[in-house]
Amino acid sequence: MMAAQSRRVIDSRGSFCPGPLTDLFKAYREAKNGDLLELWATDPAAKADVQAWAKKTGNIVEEIVEEQGYIRIVVRVAAKGG
Amino acid sequence: MQRVVVIGGGTGGTLAANILASKLRREIDSGLVSVTLLSETRDHIFQPANLDIAFKGADPRKYIRDERSLLSRRVEFLNEGVERVDLGRREVLTASGRSIDYRFLVIATGSKADPELIPGLAEDAYNFHTGPWDAAKIWDALQRFDRGRIVLVIAGVPHKCPPAPTEAMFLLDDYFRKRGIRDRVELTFLTPYPHAYPAKPIADVVEPLLERMGINVNTFFNIESVDPVKKRVHSLEGDEVEYDMLIAIPPHRGSSLAVRSEIGDQEGWIPADKHTMKIPDYDDSYVIGDATNIPISKSGVVAHIQAAIVAHNISSEILGFDGKKRFNGRINCPLEVGAGKALFVAGTYERPPKPMKPTRIKYLMKKSFATIYWHMLTGRLEPLFDLYFR
Repeated sequence: MMAAQSRRVIDSRGSFCPGPLTDLFKAYREAKNGDLLELWATDPAAKADVQAWAKKTGNIVEEIVEEQGYIRIVVRVAAKGG
Repeated sequence: MQRVVVIGGGTGGTLAANILASKLRREIDSGLVSVTLLSETRDHIFQPANLDIAFKGADPRKYIRDERSLLSRRVEFLNEGVERVDLGRREVLTASGRSIDYRFLVIATGSKADPELIPGLAEDAYNFHTGPWDAAKIWDALQRFDRGRIVLVIAGVPHKCPPAPTEAMFLLDDYFRKRGIRDRVELTFLTPYPHAYPAKPIADVVEPLLERMGINVNTFFNIESVDPVKKRVHSLEGDEVEYDMLIAIPPHRGSSLAVRSEIGDQEGWIPADKHTMKIPDYDDSYVIGDATNIPISKSGVVAHIQAAIVAHNISSEILGFDGKKRFNGRINCPLEVGAGKALFVAGTYERPPKPMKPTRIKYLMKKSFATIYWHMLTGRLEPLFDLYFR
């Protein structure tokens, strides 16, 4: 039986070093295909970094929204094996 | 009697206890206040030296001191672990079953690297994050390594000291050049990040250097497992990389105390207000350094600054002074790039790190800190650090 898909918000606002991707990867490791990971970041590099990561690994960026003072990036996990 | 309990005898805990003992010395001497530090180990390790031990053959014994010898005589030192804390009842239960109540609590239990969390990693990977003696095993293995592929993989995030993996690549290159066999050794860095350093402005500085040194960088590599028989590292996405010698930055976890006490997440990271370092909903309980879940590098400098701020704020409250301090996310991590040069990764919550040219001066600053460190723990240098970190 397929496990239910989930959506998880990752609040990385204020993180520059090591950066929002650290928090995204932590959540990605626990996620399964179909899950949505919603990253909130103030680091201006986050948008390009997440897009590059998704392209390279085969995960999908579903949405990028400029909110007041931060950026919200929604990723659908699609590249995990098994 | 108002008791301040500090749990953990690393950089943050030791410095916090010593600053409290200094600021509250009159109250301690007159029996109105006490400061107690609990640590399950007596060994205090200068952890940044693990890189020098692993890649330069430094002697581990030089970087280990007895915790009691680093504490003010006004700090009561209990060499035992903590089984549980009850924030609501302001009570610490020690491993031996002793109950200690407190007026203020500072949790500085750090983080722990655990190679067992990735299948195959503990069997076949060296690492310099589980202590100076494990770092020394890397040095021993390098002496015997004459030809082949060395792979260094970041096997989990977050981990202590963000510059350490990149720095290790530079030091490996340096080591084999000095032995005159660099052309016989292939060096590969596997990182889950998009760049050779997580912060882009710093990556822009180090990537051309890595390229010039002929170091391979495989980005976006999320490790899944290691096959010790075939000597291969596998990623979550199905890639595999072969090695002859594997060095890993193991996944890290917070304290098991946090999990047992139900005050942390499932990995043991304890939530904190990122400016006050207070544990949410508790006015008298703080967490500092690696133990927190705040979005900042797990490094000695962060533990240092937070310890000073929390010790200041607790003593101000006990003494009835105003003027609370807040942590602004200041980081200042040295990154050695080989050939006797280094740069510093510096920034705050609001100000991202800027590109910085590696220089000899910064390398010497990094080296000198190994000596200053022991004196820094007394808290007597805080006026100087206040100026430096401003």
